[in-house]
Amino acid sequence: MLSHVNESGLWLVNRFLGLTGKQTPQTWTVMQTIMGTAAFAAVLLLSLFVQRPVSVRRTDGKERTTVPEEFVNWSGSLRFTPGERSAPRTEEEVAAEVRRAAERGLTVRPVGSGHSSVPLMATDDVLMSLDALTGLVRHDTAARRGAVLPGTGLADAGRLFAEAGLGMENLGDVDYQAIAGAIGTGTHGTGLALGNLSSTLVGGRLVTGTGEIFPFGEDAGEDAGEDLVRAAQVSLGSLGVLTSLTLRLVPAYGLHRLNWCTHIDWVLDHFGELARANRHFDFYWYPRSDDAQVRTLNEPGREPALVPPGARLHADETGPGHEIIPNSRDLRFDEMEYMLPLEDGLDCFREVRKRIKERHRQNVGWRVLVRTVAADEAMLSNCTGRPTMTIALLQNNELPHEEYFADLEPLFLEWGGRPHWGKKHTLTAAGLRPLYPEWDAFQDIRRRLDPQGVFLNDYLRRLLEET
Amino acid sequence: MSTLGPLGRTTWVFPGGHIPAAGTGAEPEFTSRDELCLLNSGGDDAQVELTVLYQDREPVGPYRVRVGARRVRHVRVNDLIDPQAVPLGVPYGAVVRSDVPVVAQLTRVDTRRGKLSTSVAAGYPAEV
Repeated sequence: MLSHVNESGLWLVNRFLGLTGKQTPQTWTVMQTIMGTAAFAAVLLLSLFVQRPVSVRRTDGKERTTVPEEFVNWSGSLRFTPGERSAPRTEEEVAAEVRRAAERGLTVRPVGSGHSSVPLMATDDVLMSLDALTGLVRHDTAARRGAVLPGTGLADAGRLFAEAGLGMENLGDVDYQAIAGAIGTGTHGTGLALGNLSSTLVGGRLVTGTGEIFPFGEDAGEDAGEDLVRAAQVSLGSLGVLTSLTLRLVPAYGLHRLNWCTHIDWVLDHFGELARANRHFDFYWYPRSDDAQVRTLNEPGREPALVPPGARLHADETGPGHEIIPNSRDLRFDEMEYMLPLEDGLDCFREVRKRIKERHRQNVGWRVLVRTVAADEAMLSNCTGRPTMTIALLQNNELPHEEYFADLEPLFLEWGGRPHWGKKHTLTAAGLRPLYPEWDAFQDIRRRLDPQGVFLNDYLRRLLEET
Repeated sequence: MSTLGPLGRTTWVFPGGHIPAAGTGAEPEFTSRDELCLLNSGGDDAQVELTVLYQDREPVGPYRVRVGARRVRHVRVNDLIDPQAVPLGVPYGAVVRSDVPVVAQLTRVDTRRGKLSTSVAAGYPAEV
């Protein structure tokens, strides 16, 4: 930059342009210095806007350098860039990654398909994808058990179990979640006698916060009702990384779906009857018309004759349970869902309906979904200890949802609601603790398995740790 | 079977959309609404795309509606949700494009004053 007398370039310019010894440093040297400084400043400025490469440790132990990729969840409402991404292919690699992160004081968050609309997976540190850990580990058709790897998609799990003559007793509306994520957040379908997906977890294997491989429940030769299973069933990835999940299954079964449209008043008048008569029953309410879509699923030949007057049939299909239960459309939305005591659920729904019609339907055109879930015993299941009715608010992901959800959430809480762990809500540990009789027992187990808090990101800390 | 053949245009424009935010009476019969009425007299199904324009933001769409051959279809604008719900109580306009000629009109039902009032707006056929 500071071109001076011992540099050959200075003398070349001096001779070619016929300059004096004094003129050259006054012009050429000054110009070059300005150019160099400006270029340096420009590169420095650019570097502020270009992502810096970071080191990513591959599972084979070799370092490679890459630009961190932004993570975007299914609805698009959640974005973050992890410091590192990891994609272990074996349980041992999961354990090694966790130990390495623990030694460096980093947080590890496992992620499945990213369907959740809350930042359970958000981290500046290590985002661990379980995509490479998929498939059926073993099955026992007679004992009605099957074990799968954590990254197995629900649709794939359904197909694998069906090939073994088995099926999950229920599924949710969509089947593109990874099974560990679906179970870890208490994903549910509908059916008065059917528990959420988590309630079918009877054992498995965890990599704990100290990097130990920890079999629990039936995988450890213990009873499915023991405390560790009841803690692991809905654990939000806070006890460890699930590396294998053993599920209670049922013999493969077929289902007949009927979706029909009728008026919401008829549905409310016949809710109890519909819920008792059908294996699965739920309904959507459309706030801008008071129409309702009733959806029933039953095993062929075991179907009630209850059909609403003037109903318009929207769907009529029969097939294997795991293909018929998922029934969603690819419309992206954000969602708040609360679990209410079954006996109070309809009264709560009536207030929700009134509130939406009075205050929100100017901007809310999408629907409200009402389902039922059987009681279970998981420590952090929002259906623990009580038969449940669920009410879900769905809002187009491109439209604002904050004011709508914020206005309805206190209503759900007044009725004794517990939030869905994977959907939008604003509760933190202080508000959640009174809702769960075994809250403290869960936290004790969590601190025992993850003493350093390797699996706690900021969001989970607010959720699980009282300040 | 009638042989009307295709009638109308492939592009229609409605500048005066406005769905009343309130209403009276039992729903869905008396819900205040705008209803897009599409008539396809031709022998092929019509794939119709609706784009909604606003005063203060970029257009939203396309909303897709299929109208069978030799059929009419009345679609409540209130009920459109994909890609997103059309807000009530604000001015909007709509451009309707179809792959075959159709005839389009917009019907408004307003039940705010305890009575049923309706109005009909013919669309403007437009050439690109």
